[in-house]
Formats: sequence, structure tokens, C-alpha cells
Amino acid sequence: MVIIQQRSWKQKLEQKQRRVESVSHLVNGSIIPTEKIVDALELLIKPGDRVVLEGNNQKQASFLSQSLVLVDPEKVHDLHMIMSSVSRPEHLDLFDEGIAKRIDLSYAGPQSMRIAQMIEDGRLVLGDLHTYIELYGRLFVDLTPNVVLVAADKADRHGNLYTGPNTEETPTIVEAAAFSDGIVIAQVNEIVDELPRVDIPNSWVDFIVEADHPYELEPLFTRDPRHITDIQILQAMMCIRGIYEKHSVQSLNHGIGFNTAAIELLLPSYGEKLGLKGKICKNWVLNPHPTLIPAIESGWAESIYCFGGELGMEKYVEARRDVFFTGKDGSMRSNRTLAQLAGQYAADLFIGSTLQMDAYGNSSTVTKGRVAGYGGAPNMGHNPGGRRHSTEAWYNMMTSTDELARGKKLVVQVAETYQDANTPVFVERLDAVDVKKQANLAVAPVMIYAEDITHVVTEEGIAYLYKTDSPTERREMIASIAGVTPLGMEHDVKQTQQLRDRGLVALPEDLNIQRGEANRSLLAAKNIDELVQWSGGLYEPPAKFKSW
Amino acid sequence: MKSAWLFPGQGSQYPNFLNELPQHSIISDTLETASEIIKEPIEMLQTEEALISTRNVQLTMLTASVATARYFLSLGVSPQFIAGHSVGAFAAAVIANVLSFEEALLLVKKRGELMEELQDENYGMAVIVGLSENRLEEIVSGLYTDEYPVYVSNRNSPTQLTLSGHKRAMQKVIDEVDGKGASSAKMLKVTTPSHSPLFLPVQTVLKEELDSLELGRPSIPFIANRNARVLRRSKDIAQDLAESIALPVRWHDATTVLYEYGVRQFIEMPPGDVLKRLASSAFPEIHSYSVSKNGIDDCLYVEKNKGV
Repeated sequence: MVIIQQRSWKQKLEQKQRRVESVSHLVNGSIIPTEKIVDALELLIKPGDRVVLEGNNQKQASFLSQSLVLVDPEKVHDLHMIMSSVSRPEHLDLFDEGIAKRIDLSYAGPQSMRIAQMIEDGRLVLGDLHTYIELYGRLFVDLTPNVVLVAADKADRHGNLYTGPNTEETPTIVEAAAFSDGIVIAQVNEIVDELPRVDIPNSWVDFIVEADHPYELEPLFTRDPRHITDIQILQAMMCIRGIYEKHSVQSLNHGIGFNTAAIELLLPSYGEKLGLKGKICKNWVLNPHPTLIPAIESGWAESIYCFGGELGMEKYVEARRDVFFTGKDGSMRSNRTLAQLAGQYAADLFIGSTLQMDAYGNSSTVTKGRVAGYGGAPNMGHNPGGRRHSTEAWYNMMTSTDELARGKKLVVQVAETYQDANTPVFVERLDAVDVKKQANLAVAPVMIYAEDITHVVTEEGIAYLYKTDSPTERREMIASIAGVTPLGMEHDVKQTQQLRDRGLVALPEDLNIQRGEANRSLLAAKNIDELVQWSGGLYEPPAKFKSW
Repeated sequence: MKSAWLFPGQGSQYPNFLNELPQHSIISDTLETASEIIKEPIEMLQTEEALISTRNVQLTMLTASVATARYFLSLGVSPQFIAGHSVGAFAAAVIANVLSFEEALLLVKKRGELMEELQDENYGMAVIVGLSENRLEEIVSGLYTDEYPVYVSNRNSPTQLTLSGHKRAMQKVIDEVDGKGASSAKMLKVTTPSHSPLFLPVQTVLKEELDSLELGRPSIPFIANRNARVLRRSKDIAQDLAESIALPVRWHDATTVLYEYGVRQFIEMPPGDVLKRLASSAFPEIHSYSVSKNGIDDCLYVEKNKGV
């Protein structure tokens, strides 16, 4: 006979109900009055809780982070923070104040020195560094949150939320708590009678609070074309001819670098001249980059799916709903989780820049004394083993005649051979190895592994790394485009000629590109003003980008 | 907007710089107090000839910085953070209420005199521009000998580093890097190998002196020289003041930490504008001013209207 022990199977719910009950004297239904937020947090959050504080790439739950740092550490302490981006000073002040103890994160670029100091001083315990998707995944496995603190644009009186173009990861974070009896608290810029649309239904939300200031939003993806150099234009021309055209790349992700901004601005000029419109760069997974406006206006982009919004692009995007994913209300909807998955599984190509690469193609952007994490680049900058569908570009990466052979994601790294006069990009050993030791990490923080990278582009040429598995040959290929760096000095002209003859390396002349033609006159827009003109005045650049 | 005040170290002085301080009674009173405490007219220590002595340089710089910062404080203007480079840290400690001006003057006088006692024509410092810390460390450790020691000392920016040690060893480093990676490599006209283990005896005496003082609770968070930590306790600040003379000043890290704490405005106290320029080149988007270059009125205006 089986003896069934009596236990409650809704202990989490009961605990949640007790916590919600404890603030009943402070709240008005689901609304926490702005000035009561610190008191409410002290009752709703318990020592040792796992707390997700929404700090994204762009949108920051800044009112809630500023409020959380004001709670009494006697009442709330030893929190385990889970944050996709650690970017505001108070995110780490939580640890200085003794409110939080442990952290799992994706990206800490803007606080990378302080976090390294705090790890060394034992003020903060680092769980691990993740890519975005990994961290979101763990919210549903072994890091389910007790409380989540998120940001939305607007709420109605019932607690429904509108997150609009800046939806980013809010629905993912909320889902993890709402369906595991965690507590969901959303700061909103305003409470209104009627929302444009509901992005997150009120049954997923426990409390809303009107923030004293709108949430912080960074225009991270705005690149002023004025700063694009001739070398970046040369590299962009090589990418277009030697990669996008050669492999017929239809779907892709671009990062925030000036290199990729140059590619975007060459499509309507150089790309058009080559007759490539409609043949390449049709389906995009990327944020609404202002530098993409001329290509969109010229009919290059069929679709664009976004991780997040971009400050100033709202009206333009609304007016181009054939291209952007847009709600019935007319405003865009982004979603970082889905965009990361789309970029990982459904895009032909990922392209990004790097600060350091070793002789075999492992690359990293970390610097000694800093713990910066990853963000999303490794998600998209790798070949997903689970991919089964074929596209022309993917199939084009197949190098074997084996009957089980398959294609590969294109992963491109663009780099100038020298970061500055004395810092070569190509090194014998990545700084990441030292950072691993310093910060006591389990693995060296490599952004893109050699096994995933298919192409390296420098101002000297392109190395088609996917064509070989031999480490010796990879080294020779990279050396042949490494310029006058110590690695570059290893190669000789004869060797390079052999690699060119075999199609392993291409120099600009092999691609029919005249170096002298690579100059700023090719850019479809040369400054922010011209981007505004292309947009018909719909793009409204943030003040710091305006040219007066 | 958060601001930080920066106090320069040795190298920013120039003849008669005290004469260029803003005209105000708080400033002239501070100079007078200094003269009374050290029992000699402070103005006499700023001549070209007098400034050959590191003791005189340190005393006059401390006085100039403290006097000017006091003027700001008297108008109700204060920063969120404070940091000083090498001897500049003593001025920062005065402004943060950790040391009295008198204590700081006597400590700095002692510091300068001890450094002078140890000085030797064969030792000094050099500045190397253009090499990374890693690369320079590699070269320096290869050329170091116990007989002719050389150390990488101050980290002013990622590629502006100083050496301290025996001139023969420093010359070897200069020969090794000049034209081979470094865009500039030259000996400085000093005979004090500061911020290296050669000054451990100075560290020991300063420690004893600081231990005997009754320190005040810091009113402004203070950034450490030796490890760029934010210090909020007087005993930690005292430790940094004492130890830094025998350890590298990690100034670039200090600037970076201030930036990460949200500081977007830097004001450098007199003399000079070295720290203002280092801050601007590390973070081009910040607002960085020096009283010597931008004038007291502009600096007061931007500090009163942070964010305007």
C-alpha cells in the first residue's frame, strides 16, 4: 500500500498571497502609490529572494532600481539578482549596500571595472556570465524568480501593460514569474484609461507603480555616418561583393559597429550599381538602425524584426508597417527573446566586429581587469547545431561531399588589423585567458569561437575560413590578411598568391574592387541630417545626434 | 549630473603658479596659514629654483589645490566624489575632512623630505607612450636586475605609463621600445623613483605618522590611488595615502570607476590641466574642466549648474 503524505502543493502560491496581503494597507488595488514604493518593496521582497531587475540593452527599469537601492538592508538582504544588462551605477550599489549578494548576468559593459573589483573584493558573488538566450532559458529552469521588477510605457487601471516598440525582454521576464507564483511589479511612465494595445495582460501582473521619471532609454544603435572612415567603406565593399553577393545572403543580422553601418549605407549606392537589389539583404533581424533608412526607402528590405526599439525612429517605423512588425494600434512590437532565436536559427548570416582575434580565429572583446559578459553576439555568432532547413547561403557553406553533409551559418568577423597605432587585433593569446584567471571564471570569455567563424574581413582582404579544417592553413589564411601585425609578418607574398589561387583568400582586386574608389562619396547618407531627409522628416534624432 | 574633483600630482607645477590662483580672501588666507604652519613664506617655494626640490613642489601644490577647493566649498558647491593623483590625494583628503590642512602640510613636508633624503642622481622616472601595460611589463621584467632595478609605475592612461628605477635600466627599456611600439619614450627630469618599491622606507614612516593622527570621517567618497577602489572610511584612506608612494598610481582605473559611478563632470584643481585632459581622452563625451585653463568663474558656473 502506498502511503500518501499530506503536504500542500501550493506553498509558493500561499507565500505569494501572504506577501501580497502584507502590502494591502499601502496599495490601491494593484496600484502602488509612487511614494510608497520603497515600503512596498521592503514587504514584497524577502532576504535571499531571486529577483530579476529589468536592465536591458536599451530600456532600464530605472525607477525600480533607484527604489530598490533605498530599501533597508536589515529587512532586505542577500538577494540573488538576475539581470540581462548591468548598466546603471545603482545596479552595483545594491551590492555595496548589502542588499544583494549574488548575480547572474549577460552583459556588464558599462560597469565592467566596478564589477571586476567587487568580485575580487568578495562583495559580489558572480554566478555566471551568459548569453541573453541562456539567461532567459534559466529563468524557466533553475533560476525561476521570486520577484521581477520591469518597465512598461503605460498601464491601464486594470494593470494591463503597453510596452510598444521597446517591449524587448519584458514579456519573457514577466512570464517566468507570473506562472511560477512569483510577484510581478511593473513601473510605468503613465497610467491611462485606454491602452493603444495590450502587450502584457493584467492577469500576469501583480502591481504597477507610476514612475517619477520615464524609464531610461539609450539610443544605442544610432551611428552618425559622419564617423564612417574610408577603410570601413573598403571593408563594406568587400563584404558586399565577397560574402553577401558570393553566397547570396538573404537574411541577416547586423551589430552596432560603424563597419556594418557602412554596409547599410552602401546598399542603395554601390549595391544598386552591382545590380544586387532583390538578390541579397532582404530579411533582417536587427533594431531599427537609422543608417538602414536609405536601404529601406530604396526598397531593399522586405522585412525587419527587432530586438528592441531605437529612440527617434518610432514615427518612421510606424509609417513603414509593411517592413516592420507592427501592432493593430500602429506601433512596432519588439521582442528580444524571439529576435535572438530568429537571428540564431533563421538568419543566413551574423556579422560583427572584434577587438582581438587569435591566429586561429577565436575572438573576444574583453580587456584585462574588466568583466563585461556577452550580451547576444555569441547567440547569433555561432552555427546552431539544431538547424535543419536549408537556404542558398547556408547550403553554400557545405565543403564536403559526404552524404550526410550539411550547410553552415555564416559568421563573419570584421576587424582592422590595428585597433590603434600600437595595438594589433591579431594576437598569439587572447586577453580572455587572463580575465578567466583574474575573475575566477570556469571558462575563458570567448565571444566567437574559431569553429564557428566562417569569414574574417580586414582592410587587406577576406579569409574564407569555412573552406578548411586545418589549423595550419587557417593560421596562414589569417596571417595573409593580418597586415603588418606580428602575425601578418609571418606570411609572404608567394604564400598569399597560392591561397588566392585556391580561393581561400581574396584581396580587393580579386573582387574587382579598386581601393581608390572606397571613399565617403559612396555613402547614401553622409550625416544624420541626410538620414532625416531620406526618412521624409519622420526620423527624429535624439538631441545629441543633431547637427546644429 | 554627478561631478568629481581631481587634484593633480607632481609634474603639473610651473614657476610662480601660486600667483595665478584666483583672487579671493579664502585663497590668500589659506596661503598665509600654510606659511605659518611650515614657518616659511609659501610664495618663496614656487620659484623656478625652489621647485627643483620635490618637498617644495609638494607643499606648494597641496596649498594651491586646497585653497582653490575651499573657495568652491565656501560657495556651497561640492562634488559627489574626490580623487587626487599621488601627492594630490593629500589635498583630496583635506577637502573630504579626513585630514586637517595642518596635518596634511606636515605629512607632505615629511613625505617630500624623506623622498629627498633617499634621492640619488642615478635614479628617477621615465614616461613611455604608446605601449600597453602588458607589453611594457613584459619588457621591464626582462630587463630588471637587482643591481639596476626598474618598475612600471603610474598607469595614467591605457598607453601612457611611467617607469621608476635606476636610470641605466630605464635607458635600456627606452632603447628597447623607442621606435618599436612606443610613440614616445623619455626620461623625466626627476631624481625620485616614486611609486615603486624603492620608496618603501617612506611608506613605513608615513604609516606611523598617519597612525598617530585622529582622522575625520570622510564627507566625500574618495578614490584610491593604488587600486581605484571607492573609499568611505578614514582608515582605508590613510592606508592609501601611506602606501601609494611605493605602489603604482592606477589613475586610469580611478577615472574609469568614477565614470561607472555615473560621474560626467570633472573639475581639476590647480595647477595645470593634466588630469582634465586624461579624463577627456578616456571618455570623450564627459565634461571636463580645469581651474587653471578654464578659469575659476567657468568652473564655478558649471559646478553650480550641474547638468546645464
